[in-house]
Amino acid sequence: MIPAFTQPSRAEDLAWVRVVSYSLLFAIYLPLDDRAWTQVSPVFWMPISFFRFLPGPPRNAALIGALEILWKASLLTSAIGLLSRASMLTAAALGYFLLGLPNCFGKIHHLDGFPVVLLIILAVSRCADSWSVDRAMRRRQIPNDRKSAAAVSWQYGWPIRLAQALFLLIFFAAGFSKLRQSGFAWMTAANMRSIWLGELFTHIPPTRIGSYLAQSPGLCRFAAVSTVIIELSALPALFFRRLRVLTLVALLGMQTLIALMLGVYFTPHLAGYALFLPWHRYAKFCATRRARHGLCLS
Amino acid sequence: MQVPSLRFPGLVIAAFLAITCFDISTGLEHWPFGSYPMYSLLYSDQLTWLRFYGVTDRGEVPLRGERDFAPFDEARLIMALQRLEGAPAANQKLTAALGNLMQLYNRAAARRRPASPPLRALRLYTVRWPLQPGVTGTEAPRERSLVAQANRDDNRDEAAP
Repeated sequence: MIPAFTQPSRAEDLAWVRVVSYSLLFAIYLPLDDRAWTQVSPVFWMPISFFRFLPGPPRNAALIGALEILWKASLLTSAIGLLSRASMLTAAALGYFLLGLPNCFGKIHHLDGFPVVLLIILAVSRCADSWSVDRAMRRRQIPNDRKSAAAVSWQYGWPIRLAQALFLLIFFAAGFSKLRQSGFAWMTAANMRSIWLGELFTHIPPTRIGSYLAQSPGLCRFAAVSTVIIELSALPALFFRRLRVLTLVALLGMQTLIALMLGVYFTPHLAGYALFLPWHRYAKFCATRRARHGLCLS
Repeated sequence: MQVPSLRFPGLVIAAFLAITCFDISTGLEHWPFGSYPMYSLLYSDQLTWLRFYGVTDRGEVPLRGERDFAPFDEARLIMALQRLEGAPAANQKLTAALGNLMQLYNRAAARRRPASPPLRALRLYTVRWPLQPGVTGTEAPRERSLVAQANRDDNRDEAAP
C-alpha cells in the first residue's frame, strides 16, 4: 500500500470517503459535551501535545459549548461539501481541540486519536472535488467546468491510502507495545485472565462474558496469543490485500469482544474500518441510478 | 494539462508516517499519534486500584467515576489520581483534587431525580481484589487502606498513616 500512494484514484471514491467519514464522526460525536471539563480543578490539568501552549485549562463553559456547536456543524457541512475547505479545516482544528481536551486531565484514551488524524488528512485533501454542494454550485456557474466525478488522479488516492495505513499501524503499535513492554510473557493464560477479570472491577462491561471465559486457561491462552498475532498482522496487511481483509475482520471482531467483555468501546474506529469498504462499487451503483433518474448533482 | 505538485501531499505523507513510526519505535505519545500501549503491561493475580467512598448519614457508599464524577470516567480519574500521588506536593494536590471531586459529585447528586443526599466526606482508598476465576466484579475488596479524605465542612484531608 505504501508504494501505492501515488497510484491514481477517482474523485468520486475520495468524495464517498468524505461523505461517510464526516457523517459517521458527526453521528458518533453528537453526544460529545466537553463543557463539564471547565468545572474540573486545575490540579488535574496535565496537558498533552499542543495543549501545553495553553496557559491553563479552559474555564468558559459557554465558549466550549459554542465551539462544540460550530464543530458539529462543520462536520455536517464537510459531509455535504458546503464551503468545503473552510468547513474541513474548522472540523480538523476544533476536532483536535475538543477531542484532545479530555486527554489533558490525567490519561490519554486511545479512542479519539485516529478520528483527529483522519480529519486533518481530509482537510488538506481534494475530497470535495466531487459529490459536493460547492461542486454543484460551481458547475451551475461554469457549465463547461472540466472537473468531473470521474476525474482520475493520484490526488484522490493518497488521502485514502494514508488514512488506511495509519489506521492499520494503530493496531500494529498496540501489538508491538505488548511485546516491548512485557515480552512473550504477555501471551500467557494468567495475564489474559487477569486483564479480563480486572476490568470487571474497573469498568462496567455490558456482559459477564469475561468472568465466564476466564475460567478456561486454554481459552485465555488462545485469546492472548491471537490478540498479539492479529495486531502484529496489521503491518504486513498494509502490503497484502487478502491478509488485509482477514486482519480487518479479525480486528473488528476483537474490538467487539473487547466492548462486550471489558466495557471499552472503540466506536470512533468505525470511521477507520469504513475506509476499507469498496466505495467505488457503491459509487458505480449510484452512478447507474443517477443516470436512470436523471440526477446531476456531481 | 496542469500536473499538480507532489510536494505538499508528499510532506503530509512523510510527516504522518514519520511521527507514527517514531512513536511506535520509542513508545512515546504525540497525540493524536501514539504508541497505543493500552493493556501492554503484565497483570498480576491481584488487582490494586484506587476507589472512592462517599460518607453519608447512612455510612460509606462506594462511588464510581462514570456515574458520580462526570466528566471523569473511572480509568481517567484513577490514572490522574495515581499521577497526583507521585507528584511533588502530593498531599496538597490530592486535597485540592478531592475537594473538587466532592463538588462535582454534589452537583451531579443534586441534579438526580430523586436527588441523592450530599456527601459529608469523600474518602479515597487503595483497594485490592484477588483475581480468581469466578469473580464477577461485584465483590467487596479483600483489603483497603485510606489514602486521603476530604470533608464537606473544611475540605481538609487526612492522609492515612
